[in-house]
Amino acid sequence: MIGAIGAVLLGKEHEVRLALACLLARGHLLIEDLPGMGKTTLAEALARSFGLGFKRVSFTSDLLPADLTGLNVFDPAAASFRFQPGPLFSQVLLADEINRASPRTQSALLEAMAAGRVSVDGTSHSLPRPFLVIATQNGLDQGGTSALPESQLDRFLMRLSLGYPPRQAERALLQGEGLRPDGLSGAFGPEDLLALQDRADRQHCSSALLDYVLDLLERSRRQPAQGHPLSPRAGLALVAAARAWSLLEGRDHVIPDDVQAVLAPVCEHRMDGGQRGGSDGELSQRLQAGVDGLR
Amino acid sequence: MSGAAAPLQWLTMGLLAVGLLGLSPALSLSLLAFGLAVLTALKLREARSLEERRVVALLQLVCAGLLAALRPELAPSLLQGLAILMALAGLLALELGAGPDWKALLRRSLQVLLAAMPIALVLFLLLPRLMPFTNFGAGQGMGAMTGLSDSMEPGSIARLAVSRQAAARVAFPLGGEPPPLEQRYWRVMVHERFDGRSWRSAAPSFARPAAGQPAPPPPPAAPGEGIQLWLIEPSGLAAVPWSGSGRPLSADLNLQRSGELLNRAPGSQRRVYALTEKSDQSGWRTAPPGPIDLLLPLGENPRLEALAAGWRRLGSNRERLDAATGWFRGQPFRYTLEPGALPRQAPLDHFLFESRLGFCGHYASAFTTLMRAAGVPARVVSGYRGGQWVQPVGGTGYVDLRQADAHAWSEVWLDGEGWRRVDPTAWAAGDPLARSGAAGAGSRAGGGPLDWIQQQWWGLDIAWARWWLGYDGEQQQALVARLLGDRSHLLGVVVLLAVAVSLAAGLGGLGWLGRRRRGDPLRLELERTLRAFARQGMAPAAGETLPVFAQRLQQRWPALSGPLEAFVAHYQQQRFAGVPGPIGRRQARRLGRALRRSLRAGNRSQNAVQREHP
Repeated sequence: MIGAIGAVLLGKEHEVRLALACLLARGHLLIEDLPGMGKTTLAEALARSFGLGFKRVSFTSDLLPADLTGLNVFDPAAASFRFQPGPLFSQVLLADEINRASPRTQSALLEAMAAGRVSVDGTSHSLPRPFLVIATQNGLDQGGTSALPESQLDRFLMRLSLGYPPRQAERALLQGEGLRPDGLSGAFGPEDLLALQDRADRQHCSSALLDYVLDLLERSRRQPAQGHPLSPRAGLALVAAARAWSLLEGRDHVIPDDVQAVLAPVCEHRMDGGQRGGSDGELSQRLQAGVDGLR
Repeated sequence: MSGAAAPLQWLTMGLLAVGLLGLSPALSLSLLAFGLAVLTALKLREARSLEERRVVALLQLVCAGLLAALRPELAPSLLQGLAILMALAGLLALELGAGPDWKALLRRSLQVLLAAMPIALVLFLLLPRLMPFTNFGAGQGMGAMTGLSDSMEPGSIARLAVSRQAAARVAFPLGGEPPPLEQRYWRVMVHERFDGRSWRSAAPSFARPAAGQPAPPPPPAAPGEGIQLWLIEPSGLAAVPWSGSGRPLSADLNLQRSGELLNRAPGSQRRVYALTEKSDQSGWRTAPPGPIDLLLPLGENPRLEALAAGWRRLGSNRERLDAATGWFRGQPFRYTLEPGALPRQAPLDHFLFESRLGFCGHYASAFTTLMRAAGVPARVVSGYRGGQWVQPVGGTGYVDLRQADAHAWSEVWLDGEGWRRVDPTAWAAGDPLARSGAAGAGSRAGGGPLDWIQQQWWGLDIAWARWWLGYDGEQQQALVARLLGDRSHLLGVVVLLAVAVSLAAGLGGLGWLGRRRRGDPLRLELERTLRAFARQGMAPAAGETLPVFAQRLQQRWPALSGPLEAFVAHYQQQRFAGVPGPIGRRQARRLGRALRRSLRAGNRSQNAVQREHP
């Protein structure tokens, strides 16, 4: 399947794999990059390859929370209010350019991401399962953006950056060898995804591995000068992502290499507070180097 | 190479330098120690490779050992122990490579020291002794040190400052009791030469053993006999304090005919010696006086001579002494530390008949002169009087003597009895000993927590002197005799056996400590393997995981890939997947061993190839 998505998104196997791990770990994904790097394509390809319902919202500065969640509409025929679900009620929501919306709208979305349900006028509506938000954001140096606060960044399991494709892949792209995402036919169904998510949850984490994760967390808290300390939720996210990664590696247990593979996407945006500075993953690299990996 | 090695080795150098400061430069061995330390420091400065740093660590250990031979007292020993601990930690940092932090290194170093304890004990108890190094250069130490002086001239001293500096300590380890306060006179020097002003002691005559022939060791104390253990601070004097009765137990003591006890060890260092508590053969008491004990420059103090001339008519020395005592007690003498200087003309006349103010030196001097003028052989003895009885927590009690306890008294020859101690100071009003005796059972008031700590430290010091320094050649021979009886020719075999057993015990204990600490044989196996690779210059990078490191190793040694993969796969499986059972551990050990063996084999063949094709 990675190969299938890879055929759409040329030359980006690693990122595709990470995005898939994020999906298996029931996490939400934040993709940050310049326009035109294939963010939307990745999101769409992920959704389609599992045959998931896919909706897309372009966030603009005047988008209101109700535009996302939907609203109660008066139905004259039934003489009552009827809930008209918004685009949030889909299995994969692509939130394009999330950092261009107002903070109020952002927080409505993030609340839905955290709780898995939406409350409109006092009534709770459950969101479908699986529910995955893939948000893209443009770099903060671009015009018309407002930064996501740290608390909301924390809701995203991973932050990815696609980056430019390698020359060979770009040549293939220009030659028209890439597939359109809508050409993907789902060999898997949503049930398969749920089953895979359950399996990822059951990946074995030995105490030695948990010690390694705990040492990483402790290290990040002991040296606050090197980025924000990692929260317990970050620890949960790290373990969940490592489990999903180990599943993708075809193992039934997690090893420190899995943790290291997902460390940068899971932890970097929690440590740098959304202010991407320096080279990619610098803080996580430093964190990783500070903890003995031989367990 | 671990980053901790260099700072640890420099720290060791610092500790060794502090230890060197305490050495007396007069000894040739301490020059050797100085030179060795300087060489080590230079070597450390230029050392780059692992081998050079190893050499530095060994040199540091040799240096510490040399220091230990030169300064066996408690405080220097602690310092040497610390230096050895640091040197070992530095060596461990070199050998273990990156990884363990300072705490772990020091803990391991301490474990190594503990493991060496059994063998050290065997060597200490059984290995025949060298002569103590400190016996080489005897004689007077430096003159600038405080303490008693070999000449006493009370008339010239207007003010006597009370110095609370420590002078000596005496312990009674075998349940002995200190004498009552009024009996505590510790004699040091006998002043026989009087020139009208100052009292000097006769030139000390060292009965040195002929070169190459050590003095026969004194017989050990009989069982049940009380022992006095003395520790004296550097004094610069050959004469050392003692109670006047008892028999020297230490080989470097020499009892003079006058009752002075000379110690051949250099006075510029602290000295330790032991005496039996009592002895009936205190020959100095009955050694008859010489003409020098009656010598008196005539005409210096006419009133004194006139007074004494009246007592000459009395028949015996005893009656003359009684008369002088009676006269002395009848006069209003008063004790003071600020008597003012006596006039150069007839100083003793002034003291006896006009000022009547003075301290012990005045009384002893005047009384002894009176007795000589009356025809009684007499002399001045200086030493210490009183002292504070200290009972440290959980240790042997001891008497603490300060320089303020320095005292002088007279000794008078009585026919048929011998030399009798007479202390005219005790008859004067305001004698400090009488005052303190009235105040309490000989304990000086006062002392803050610092004094208390010092008293406890001295208690420890005495215990050290008794058990560590006091274990000398004779006691060793006694132990060997008790162990082996008349089969002492077996000593060599016994020593070898004991060394082997204690070495095995130490190594076993070390292994046990190591296992207990990690508690995980799997992990131990990994570290063993990592060390094997570290010795070949391949250490894991910071944060690197085992599979990644294994890949690097495989690139370097492609031939190793089989055993390496097997080991890593097994390790990872045991560590992260299932619950490691005993079979898994044994398997890990087997695989680890196989891996290291093939690493060594690979290296050997590589070296062989290099030798063939240089």
